[in-house]
This record gives sequence, structure tokens and C-alpha cells, in this order.
Amino acid sequence: MPFDASTPRPTLLAQDLSLTYGGPMIVENLGIEVPTGEISVVVGANGCGKSTLLRALARLLKPATGAVILDGHDIHRQSTKTVAKRLGLLPQAPRAPDGVLVSDLVRRGRYPHQHLFNQWSASDEAAVNLALELTGMDEMADSSVDELSGGQRQRAWIAMALAQDTPLMLLDEPTTHLDIAHQMEVLDLLQELNQTEGRTVVMVLHDLNQACRYASNFIAMADKTIEAAGHPSEVVTPELIEKVFGMPVIVIDDPVAGTPLCIPMARSGQKERATASV
Amino acid sequence: MSLAINAPATGTMAAIAAGLVLVGFALRLSELLPTRRGAIRAGPISGLFQWRVVWLTLGAVASILGLMAVGLIVGDFPVSARDALRTALWDRGGEFDFIVNTLRFPRVTVAVLAGMCLATSGAIFQGLINNPLVSPDIIGINNGAAVCAVFILAVGGNVSLLPYAAFVGALSTAIVIYILAWKRGVSGSRLVLVGIGINALLAAVITFIQVRYPIERVAAAARWQAGSLFGANWEDARTLIIGIAILLPLAFVLTRRLRILQLGDDASAAMGMRVERERLLLIATGSGLAAIAVAVVGPLAFVALVVPHLARLLAGNITGGVLILTALLGSVFLLGADLIAQRLFAPTILPAGVVTAALGGPYFLFLLARYNRAI
Repeated sequence: MPFDASTPRPTLLAQDLSLTYGGPMIVENLGIEVPTGEISVVVGANGCGKSTLLRALARLLKPATGAVILDGHDIHRQSTKTVAKRLGLLPQAPRAPDGVLVSDLVRRGRYPHQHLFNQWSASDEAAVNLALELTGMDEMADSSVDELSGGQRQRAWIAMALAQDTPLMLLDEPTTHLDIAHQMEVLDLLQELNQTEGRTVVMVLHDLNQACRYASNFIAMADKTIEAAGHPSEVVTPELIEKVFGMPVIVIDDPVAGTPLCIPMARSGQKERATASV
Repeated sequence: MSLAINAPATGTMAAIAAGLVLVGFALRLSELLPTRRGAIRAGPISGLFQWRVVWLTLGAVASILGLMAVGLIVGDFPVSARDALRTALWDRGGEFDFIVNTLRFPRVTVAVLAGMCLATSGAIFQGLINNPLVSPDIIGINNGAAVCAVFILAVGGNVSLLPYAAFVGALSTAIVIYILAWKRGVSGSRLVLVGIGINALLAAVITFIQVRYPIERVAAAARWQAGSLFGANWEDARTLIIGIAILLPLAFVLTRRLRILQLGDDASAAMGMRVERERLLLIATGSGLAAIAVAVVGPLAFVALVVPHLARLLAGNITGGVLILTALLGSVFLLGADLIAQRLFAPTILPAGVVTAALGGPYFLFLLARYNRAI
């Protein structure tokens, strides 16, 4: 059946995690606990290991040391299908096969729940219909994914991840290549899914202010590990952002959401200000 | 005498033209087919199908039966339709037994089976690499078979070994490509690039064999290389049936996983797939299917490239049902191509490979033009 509150609440955490692709360590001695039922957003400079962390949390990368613990057990000791029913991942900038229809794409999300002779059960159909409805893609179910706008396309992919019907959803930069309106559209959708469906969301975002606005758990990565994690209004400070991005900012209240708003200071501007204040 | 030969040729020319018109008509008609889907549910068994694919599949089966009948009836030696079908189906023996049951029936059967193998193989590779311009002939699988076969013919080896040698050549080429393309996993584009390189290398080896060995043996090799159904016998059909019995159900089962692999490695892994294992299985199945077809009929060009694309155009993205439709359309294409090859310049018989290339080449260009416009 589509996601319901009776499924056991997921727990996801990592202990003493070190990650590498064979070369230098990308993440070292990282510990994280994903708060259930909340939106966690990972931010950090390019190449700081955000995506790598997300891949490790989704069982796509075996840790060099430490472990990812899903529902109390080492994720690498669980079968791939068990994990796939608890945790879904939407990779960065996914590419759909040429000419594939939205409904076809979303149906593929049911793979972990299907078997050779059981490929379209009533619950498959219900989950796909619900995913299309929640993302507002039901009208476009028979359109080709190629013909959609960027925002619609991303919604189609999110519908696919929704059809997988996992209480935990990991998304790697779900807003890349989208214009600002489509970015907000996607983030609003994810927030709505979190609030109405109680799904735990972990995503990597590039935009600091969007992270502040949508996260209830703000995770900042620097120096191959987590620099700070917590509610954005508590952890986002000019010092933290300067440490993470090496860029001075001032932090004010977002006039719309009331969350922290980081405004970058150009280095030259900062110098002028510094001299002016002396 | 010349009249006796020319008269049926004119008739078959008309038949071929009519056939082509019919194909065009069928394509137009297919656009009117319903796009509805139906679900089958019976206890623990369930599945989804498209009515469109069902109708197209029935159409393809009917075309295969029709073309097989034509293949039994027409030829240099005039046999009436009634006699041909009677001799083939319910009254074996008699005066036409040799013509119908030894020459024509195995030939159309081999065309059906080899067409299936090539088209299915193409569908697997195109699906796996997410590119409609890929097929086993382009990434060197066919040339791998050809190197071994041409070598055997050129050194004057035992001809009965030829299918086995071709099979070994095709599979070992696939293995070499897979190993060379490996770099923490095999990505589709690297597989294609390595494959194209290997293909060029193998073509050079074939050329070397051709200039190195005596011309009369090389001529036989060149003929084999064009791909032909000439001299197809029941032994060939049996080889293909065994291969198909194993590989086609496997391909059908793997299609479900192919559909997930198409979404990218990370997305597939997150859905609980062992990406490399499944990809290896698919490559092995696709190569195996190409290998048995090439082993029997030679490296027929373009069937594996054109037919899966045509099937996708008619029925949409790959599913188990579309895979079966692709296989059947492969049979239709090869049967049609072989009939044209036999009758177009009768009594001169062309190798079927010339016709598949003549039909497939322009289609390939059409594909490229279409593809360009889409990008």
C-alpha cells in the first residue's frame, strides 16, 4: 500500500564514517544522525563530499571505516531489496531514457516491490497513482519526459522516487539546472510531502538560503566531516559560513520565512567596510 | 527460356512492391491503434500490458506466417501455392519435397529465427546503452565472429566448424570489450567507444587475412561476410532454436532489470539492483544472441540496428512485450529482405545482407537526421 504511518519509523545514522573512491579520503570520521520525520539539508563547498556522503547513506558506497546504520542494522549487512524498500535515492541530474512516458518512468519506481510474476499488483497501481497525484503529474502521465519543462521533469523523477514508497528519501541536488521558480516549486513539493506524508527527507542543496528556509536540520560539511548540524536558526552564523565556504557573509532574518538569510560580502567590499568602520 | 525466367520475376517484383506498400500502410494503421493499457491479476500473478503491443504482435505473427508461405511458394523452380503448402505442411514427400522441404522451408525458418536473434540483441544493447544508434555490429561483436569465420575459410579449415568458431569469436570479443571498458564498473559510453575501437581493429584483421590468403578461398570468406541465407538447412535451424530457447526467455526476464538500468547506475543501485552483475548478464545475453545468428547466417548488417528502433517507434520504450514484438519484427524484416534478395534480380540471387544493408542504410541516415533535429 502507499506510504502510511503504520510502517515502522526509519532510523538512519552513521558512525565514524570514512569514505574514499580508492584515492584520498573524501570523508573522515564523520558521525551523523538523521532526525526522523524532518528535512535535513546538507550544504558545503564544491567537492567537500556532500554527494559522497549521500551515496554512502544510500548504500551505494561501502565505507572504508565505520558504518551506516539503517533501522538499527549495518546497511551493508541488509539485502539490497530490504534497503530499497526503506530508503530511496534520487541522484543528481538523472537522465531518462529517450521518449519514455511519465507514467512509464514512475512505474519503474515500483521495482523493489515487484517480482517476475508479480509486476503490477493493486498496490503497485495505487502507489503509482498516488505518486502522480502528489506531484501533480497525473495530467501529464502520458506525456513524454523529453517534452516536459525542467521543473515538470524533476517532478516526474520525484514521483518515481515516491512510487518506490520509502519512508526515507535522499535527494542529491534536486534543484540543479532549474530556474528559481522551478527550484521553489520542487522544494515546496518536498516540504509538502514531508509535512503531509511524514517522510524523512535528506537532500543536498547548493543554495544556502533555500537550505535555511526548508531545513529543520541544517548540516554543514567542511574538512571532510560535519562542521555543524542543527536547526538553521541555531547553527547558521557568519563564523560557520565563513568556515565552510571561506567567504564572509552577514546573516539577517529572511523577511519572508524568518529563517537565517546569508548575504555574501565581496572581499573588496569587506575591506572598504573595515577601513570605514575604523 | 528467358521468358520463362523473366515472367515470374516481374510477378515477384510486383509482389515486392505491393509488400512495401503494405508495410507503409501497416505503419500508418499502427498510429490508430489504442494506447490503452490492461492489467492481468490472478492471485500472486500480475502484469501490465499495452493493447497496442498486443495488436502489433498479432500483426507481426500474421506477417511472418504470410511471408513464410510466400517464401515456400516463390523461387526459380515454379511450384504452385497449393503444392508448396501441401508438401511443407501435411503431405511431405512427393515431387516437390526436395525443393520445398530441403531448400525453401529451412531457409524461411532460419530467416525467422536469425531475425529474432539479431533484433533482440540490438534491443538489449540499445536499451543498455540508452542510444538508438548502437547495435552489436557497431561495437564489434559481428566482426569478432567474422574474424574467426573468415580465418577458417581462408586457411581452408573444416567448414562445419564455422558456426562454432563464429560463436566463440563473437563471445570473446564481447568479453574483451567488457574487460577493456571496465573502470570501477562499465559505463555505456565507454563500452561503445571501446567497442568501436575493437571493431576497427577486427576489420583490419579481416582485411589482413583477405590479402594474405589465396583469392579463391578469400572469395568464399567475402561471400560469407556479406551475410546470406543461401544453403540454410535444418541443422542451422536447430542450432538457432536451441540458442533461442535459452537466450530469449532470459532476455525477456532481464528486460525488467534493463528498464531500471536505463535510469542510471545510482538510481538502479538505490532500487536494490546489483548493477554490474545485471549489466554483465545483459551484455552476455545480447552477445550470445548476436553470436548464434552470425554463426549461422553471417554478419547480416543493420537488422540489429534498425528493427529495435522501428519497434520503439511503433510501441514505445522497452518492456517485456515490446521485446517480443522486436523479435518478431526482426523475423519479418529478415524474411522480407531475403525474399527481395532472391527475387529482385532473379535468377541472380543477392546475399540477404546486401538487401538488409540497402534497406537499413537509408533508415540509419533517416534516424541520424531525426536524432539531430531532436537535439
